[in-house]
Amino acid sequence: MSKRIIGMIVAICAATTLLWAIGLIVTIQDQFFYEASSVKQPKQTTSNTKKNDALSIVALGDSLTRGTGDETGKGYVGYVVDELKKRTNQHVQFTNLAIKGQRSAQLIGQLKQKEVQRQLKEADIILMTIGGNDLFRGGEALRDLSTTQLEKEKEKFAQQLRTIFQLVRTVNNEAPVFYIALYNPFNDLDNGKETSAVVRSWNYVASEVAADYQFIICVPTYDLFELQVNDYLYTDKFHPNKEGYKRIGERVASLITLTKGEK
Amino acid sequence: MINLVYNEMLKIVRKKRLFIIAAIVAVLVSLFTYAQFKQIETIRERIGTTDWRTQLQQQIIDTQNRLNSTGISEEWKKFLKIRLQQQQYYLDNDINPMAPGAPTFMRMFIENSIELFLPLLVMVIAADLVSSEASGGTIKLLLTRPVKRWKVLMSKYIAMILSTSFIVFSVALLSYAISGIVFGYGGWNLPLLTGFSVQGEELNTTAVHLIPQWKYLLIEFGLAFFVSLVVGTLTFMLSVLIRSTAAVMGIMLAALISGAILSSMVSSWESAKYLFMVNLRLTSYVSGTAPPIDGMTLSFSMTVLAVWALGALIVSFYVFTKRDVY
Repeated sequence: MSKRIIGMIVAICAATTLLWAIGLIVTIQDQFFYEASSVKQPKQTTSNTKKNDALSIVALGDSLTRGTGDETGKGYVGYVVDELKKRTNQHVQFTNLAIKGQRSAQLIGQLKQKEVQRQLKEADIILMTIGGNDLFRGGEALRDLSTTQLEKEKEKFAQQLRTIFQLVRTVNNEAPVFYIALYNPFNDLDNGKETSAVVRSWNYVASEVAADYQFIICVPTYDLFELQVNDYLYTDKFHPNKEGYKRIGERVASLITLTKGEK
Repeated sequence: MINLVYNEMLKIVRKKRLFIIAAIVAVLVSLFTYAQFKQIETIRERIGTTDWRTQLQQQIIDTQNRLNSTGISEEWKKFLKIRLQQQQYYLDNDINPMAPGAPTFMRMFIENSIELFLPLLVMVIAADLVSSEASGGTIKLLLTRPVKRWKVLMSKYIAMILSTSFIVFSVALLSYAISGIVFGYGGWNLPLLTGFSVQGEELNTTAVHLIPQWKYLLIEFGLAFFVSLVVGTLTFMLSVLIRSTAAVMGIMLAALISGAILSSMVSSWESAKYLFMVNLRLTSYVSGTAPPIDGMTLSFSMTVLAVWALGALIVSFYVFTKRDVY
């Protein structure tokens, strides 16, 4: 090996050693002695990107929208999106903003976030489930079916649902919103009659609230789970299984009309 | 002295170790580039958009959902919580932390290799610097020259530093050159946030400031070099102490791997933070992820590492100058 090559390697080594030493000095200066200045807001570059041609679907809500219990992980939204992809030539863009265990109060908080609002604004179709956790509270509500307590909860839920719809509508007042109503997973238990009555009354309130807004559609699911509820429930006896989600998905998909790009 | 160092460099280059290391880096970078490319593609397919805000929002939601699932360890939960807050901060400030490009890939690569991959490469060079001379018998020839012993060792140590910086440089160069083919070579001026500090489960953002990506990279590679030097010095000490190169490598390997394992489970054993191997992930302080043990900071980790390296250096010089060679 010629001397020149080795000389070159040594030179590279020396130069890079210097470079990394500078890196360390910069580190010390930047990480330990930074001047305390707040983050300068970078200029809003493409904040309001023009609405593109894609069909944009945004899903909001709780574990049902997340798809908990469906081993394929799709959930009803997955089936709706699949169905729409079959029916349209448009490019489908889909974001799932649902969080497991979310209650309506938390959804309100989420709807106030800037980025969530931006996505809602661009949405062509909005899907949501909410209220299941407000009502069942992890099964707690079933033990205590005292009407006064439930009435109070229902009143609160109605108000929060109104706020949610209001927030969605102020951001986007064109896209149809499909609010998927509650079903009763405890249908076949001993007190099935009582729990069903409660679920029905909650659904009634929700549909009343939805009726006050344009293009907010309250989609019933109660009937889908009325017979043989266990065939459509996941092993936790609360969330739907794949078949259950498919049924919900089919129903929602059948309600969506596409304005353009229909095959 | 310069001639001695040159002589040592000659030995290292003749052994072709540096080229083998560069080849290993090239192969690994190609693999990671492909993996990263695939990942981006899958996300795009799933969400159906290339808009980073939508993707980041989806990541945030996914993390929130993982936090809500049962059977997730406390440490992991904390890690996720911190990352969640950071992602939200990036989103709120309208800054894309993962804009595709070769510099972004370099950043990801160095952050992932600082703890194990890079130290391993350095070890390959440093492990046999002295021990191979001892086992091969050439040490006698070296020490019969009219040169002071400490000078001989010093030249070897400087050669180690030089080759370490060569390794770090080859990681930087190759990760830039290879990933750029796929992701493009731009993005040096992308603004990034640094200065996050973690307090318990909260992310403190009072000291957060924006720096361009090139500066961010300079910082991270500087830290990577620092870590490599410390690992190199420790290996160097073992190389002085032990005649068998294989034993040196074995010990260092065990230490490094135990560090990687320990970092994920030591949160309740607090004094473990004085071990050098749990402090290797210096870049995570810059990017703002939760440290393995509460109360660890960049200055703390750097001090711990420096103390270990200094100790190792003193031991090696003491032993080397005092030892009987026969």
